[in-house]
Amino acid sequence: MSDLPATSLSLPDDVLFSVRGLKKYFPIHEGWLKKHVGDVKAIDDVSLDIRKGETLGLVGESGSGKSTVARLMLRAYSLTDGQILFRRANGEIVDLSGLTDRQMRPLRAEMQMIFQDPYSSLNPRMTLLELVGEPMLIHGKGNDGEIRDRVAELLKVVGLRPEFINRYPHAFSGGQRQRIGIARALALNPSFIAADEAVSALDVSVAAQNINLLQDLQEQFGLTYLFITHDLGMVEHISDRVGVMYLGRLMEVAPTEALFSKPLHPYTEALMAAVPQPDPRGNRARKRVPLKGEIANAANPPSGCSFHPRCPYAQPKCSAEVPALRTVDGGRQVRCHFAEELSLVGAIA
Amino acid sequence: MGSKIMTKSPVPQNPMPAERLLELDDVHVHFPLREGLVKAVNGVSYHVDKGEVLGIVGESGSGKSITARAIMRLLPKRAAPPTGSIRFRPRTGEDFELSGLDRNSRAIRQVRGRHIGMIFQEPMTALSPVHTIGTQIMRTVQLHMGLGKVAARARAIDLLAKVQMPRPAQMVDAYPHQLSGGMRQRAMIALAISCDPSLLIADEPTTALDVTTEAQILELLKSLQSELGMAIIFITHNFGVVADIADRVSVMYLGRIVETASVDDIFYAPKHPYTQALLRSIPRLGVDQGRRLPTIPGMVPDPFSVPEGCAFNPRCGHAVAGLCEVRVPPEKRFGAQMSRCHIADQFVQEPANV
Repeated sequence: MSDLPATSLSLPDDVLFSVRGLKKYFPIHEGWLKKHVGDVKAIDDVSLDIRKGETLGLVGESGSGKSTVARLMLRAYSLTDGQILFRRANGEIVDLSGLTDRQMRPLRAEMQMIFQDPYSSLNPRMTLLELVGEPMLIHGKGNDGEIRDRVAELLKVVGLRPEFINRYPHAFSGGQRQRIGIARALALNPSFIAADEAVSALDVSVAAQNINLLQDLQEQFGLTYLFITHDLGMVEHISDRVGVMYLGRLMEVAPTEALFSKPLHPYTEALMAAVPQPDPRGNRARKRVPLKGEIANAANPPSGCSFHPRCPYAQPKCSAEVPALRTVDGGRQVRCHFAEELSLVGAIA
Repeated sequence: MGSKIMTKSPVPQNPMPAERLLELDDVHVHFPLREGLVKAVNGVSYHVDKGEVLGIVGESGSGKSITARAIMRLLPKRAAPPTGSIRFRPRTGEDFELSGLDRNSRAIRQVRGRHIGMIFQEPMTALSPVHTIGTQIMRTVQLHMGLGKVAARARAIDLLAKVQMPRPAQMVDAYPHQLSGGMRQRAMIALAISCDPSLLIADEPTTALDVTTEAQILELLKSLQSELGMAIIFITHNFGVVADIADRVSVMYLGRIVETASVDDIFYAPKHPYTQALLRSIPRLGVDQGRRLPTIPGMVPDPFSVPEGCAFNPRCGHAVAGLCEVRVPPEKRFGAQMSRCHIADQFVQEPANV
């Protein structure tokens, strides 16, 4: 801690993570001299608070930058600009944006990630003991015996039998492998877990089991989740608040129920309308006008509001001016010039 | 019936009704592996009528894709020769006994691509990376429809327009890698429908797509289906998608169809505990936010040790001791609805509210 820059940062009491003006540009180089000709604006001015103990859902199409936000927050990438404030377990507030890898290392114990693909995120040559115990080994938490006991306990916590400790990941199903990933994320008692499409690859019944597990663990250990998914049903089920991303920008942030009953951004409305519901009569009654076109190229984003070429409500102002993320009625945030004038339809009554 | 034991593939017992396009009767596909015999498809019977959409849902390993591959005679080489009968009568009126055809026979090569098109989850499994999409469509229509080069190219452009590819006259010369995921899916659909097939087999075609692209592809398939009058077998694990596109639905579990019914009956009056449990475990918009999802206890058993009797009995909340783990449930019929459950009658009075 002593090697962290001294800070006088502050966060509201209930906020664990606060991202301010986050930007991530990937440079495009062209030609023999690798001249810098432009940038892919993967993340462009994202500001977001995550409160202690809540689940913040992040939705959007592929290429919208949901995963990049999570990876920047955990400093798996360096950022182009912005501030990432994090409240440590000891109450200290640190800005992660300028930290070196060495300075980040002790902080990584407090923030972990679980991934979509349970097949590629586990090393097939390591046993569960090695996989789940590795974070403890790296952070020097405990000797061999202590690590073994802790791994056995963690396996029990995620619903796997402790006898499996010497097996390899290939002996487990997709859902069980996901649980191994969860056990590993829990090994260092983090306060924050980013779950990147954590149940998207699983079958319906297995996904339900793992979602319940994540909710139980949240209650048991007071975890805070950033839950990234493209499954709107899942995000509504698990999240307290939801952020909607499009082309590297946050379009809307709102409490889950408010967002789903009354979206304020046309993109949110379109996204909800696109999801087929397990309700044939409802689907027939609902007129579905599929959103036209595809997400734009982040290397060459549209002028003004990046959604305007696909937006059914677009006005001349939308292609001219970039709307700001503003706070409207009841603490909701939206990035649309006409949020107050539009009367959009949500997915629930 | 005669006393002779049939040694060849069984001859169709009765003629197919006029509206029938495809009929599977007691199809088995087994994989003799070192670890044991895997009955991937264990007595599947279903039919598809002309112009209807049959949805097939089930979890991984339930045998839904393998059944489709048995129809196309594209089973992995490790599979034992499949048994059972698969009959197919395309619009053109010929009768095909697909179950009797060899994977490389002349007859099956006339059916594939000509009468039955197939689309997949990953378009790159169907498209060649080294040919333009135009060339791939042209080869197919030249082969099956006997078109000349100029006519074939015109048809390729037409087809790309039909699947709503932007700028079809230019895209016809594009390679698959130059297209986005959604556009590749459209190119693959154009290829599959190029010879005006009577049946399209769609194997998880929207699973890897974003919801907005998925909605576009579903709308496209629906409009093509009504325009071309083709039937679709739509394989998916997503109940939302099946509710949107299917007329009838079959639910598979461990190599068997456990329930078949109209899409409304599957969703509002399911008569198999597995269907009921699956439907309950999907989070739905606007319902019970934050509550625990009801789950199915345990997990799908491994294919080498499928439970005796009803394969679902160890996980079933309604299982009757002494019955469900002993005898394989028969197909019970309730009008057009079929449930392979010993106690299906019980769900007639009390429609399991899901």
